[in-house]
Amino acid sequence: MRVQIIGFGVIGQGLAEVLLRKREELKQRYSLEVKVVSITDISGTAYAEEGLDLEKALSVARQTRAIVNYPGAKEMTGIEAIEEIDADLVIEATPSNIKTGEPGLSHMLAGFKAGKHVVTSNKGPLALKYKELVTEAARNNVEFRFEASVGGAMPVINLARETLSGDKITAIEGILNGTTNYILSRMTREGLSFEQVLKEAQELGYAETDPTYDIEGIDTASKLVILANAIMGIDATFSDVKTRGITRITPEAIRLAKERGYVIKLIGEVRNNHLEVSPRLIPETHPLNVDGALNVAMLHCDVAGEITVVGKGAGAIETQSAILSDIIAIWKKRGAGQ
Amino acid sequence: MDMRVSVDLELKDTPGQLLLALEPISRYGGNVISIIHLREEEKLRSGRVPVHFTIDVPDEASLERIINELEEQGVRVTKLGEVTKKERITLLMIGHVVDTDLRDTIDRINELEGVMVSDLSLAMPHPDKESSAIVDIEVSQGVDRRRVMERIYSIAKEKNLEIVRSLEV
Ligand SMILES: NC(=O)c1ccc[n+]([C@@H]2O[C@H](COP(=O)([O-])OP(=O)(O)OC[C@H]3O[C@@H](n4cnc5c(N)ncnc54)[C@H](OP(=O)(O)O)[C@@H]3O)[C@@H](O)[C@H]2O)c1
Repeated sequence: MRVQIIGFGVIGQGLAEVLLRKREELKQRYSLEVKVVSITDISGTAYAEEGLDLEKALSVARQTRAIVNYPGAKEMTGIEAIEEIDADLVIEATPSNIKTGEPGLSHMLAGFKAGKHVVTSNKGPLALKYKELVTEAARNNVEFRFEASVGGAMPVINLARETLSGDKITAIEGILNGTTNYILSRMTREGLSFEQVLKEAQELGYAETDPTYDIEGIDTASKLVILANAIMGIDATFSDVKTRGITRITPEAIRLAKERGYVIKLIGEVRNNHLEVSPRLIPETHPLNVDGALNVAMLHCDVAGEITVVGKGAGAIETQSAILSDIIAIWKKRGAGQ
Repeated sequence: MDMRVSVDLELKDTPGQLLLALEPISRYGGNVISIIHLREEEKLRSGRVPVHFTIDVPDEASLERIINELEEQGVRVTKLGEVTKKERITLLMIGHVVDTDLRDTIDRINELEGVMVSDLSLAMPHPDKESSAIVDIEVSQGVDRRRVMERIYSIAKEKNLEIVRSLEV
């Protein structure tokens, strides 16, 4: 399968690494040979008809932070690469943007138009234009998969849509952001203030320099929109979510809750067409009470009852589990060049 | 919506009487919550045994059918009363909980019919800092919990309090 990677940061490079590591295994188990024919970042595009040398691409990106320094690379944009280079599948891994969805939105639409399947970890475009994207993919008869956009390695979309395909999912609740879960867990364990723990998380690289997306619940809301659309068929977008973050949670509030057997977690919930992100009291013994930077989702199914999945919500390597499963699913369904 | 009722019965002191009483309850969609059997304590002069049932029934009509059937079978129904089920909402309030007149906050919640603040614990780290309260609210059966939450959120907005409610509310 001929693959193009657009966005070569944490996720794009993680994919290159895992593809190198799993080259033989993919061939043996699935007769799948993934040829990365192009890699694009903000600096340009590296391209090779017969497949790029991923080790070289990784070392160029790590040393120079610009893929344009790969031998023979050009100042070619993502859109141009998608339109001009022959490939079966586009991996879209540029930064998430919840205001415009760009540049990911244009990359995905260009991919569909060029008759290419798209696999993405980028939640912004999905949270804003889910319906349009899914419709365009179908119109162009290509596959569009995005397991990595919600919960990193935690399998939830494919679990609900494929393994639980006989069930109707009536409600979803979950912790969909690792940073806020880390902060709340630490506040709970150490009795520290929100500001203290946030600062510490930033120093450790667990939280972004601008933590707004995480702590205000915006990241959770984007993922919730994707789950509502993909799993429950609700035509919702980002602006439909009632969103509150964790900035006002205090150590005293956590202590009072604890005395009553509760913990405080930032929960995304879809129920009765209502989408909400807010800090909630969770009984200590409840399956949603998972600690640290983990993510968790509980699916309320009409046949199975409750199904809960827990997993790492981010990570350069862990997230590749989701991306690989999407690539393999497309390979199984479509084979080469279809 | 289920209604919960308490029923006092007098059964004949012969084997199988309890089963006889249970049968119509389940047939008409009732659900037994508890049975208190006062066998030893006070066997009545009539030779009958008093039993206290708490059951959930789907509606008034099925309750009526159950009672009729019991009486037809010779079970004496001596007392019948509706028990109001109470549900609890637990939530945290974070902000200037005391300075924004806690008394008034509680009164305005209690104003709603069938709604009562039954417990409250307060944490005040420092007079200048925000305080927190964890509150239990008893809600009678039939009261729309969403309306209760709407009232609480409107008070919270006015007083700039952050509300953290439990998952199932
Ligand atoms: N990190 C995780 O664990 C994780 C987990 C799940 C999902 N995601 C999602 O996956 C996506 C990628 O995340 P990441 O952590 O890999 O981000 P990242 O490290 O910031 O990488 C983003 C990459 O996209 C490139 N880029 C930016 N604008 C571009 C454009 N217009 N055209 C082509 N390339 C462009 C960047 O190039 P420059 O560096 O040159 O600017 C960089 O190579 C995001 O949407 C994120 O939300 C991440």
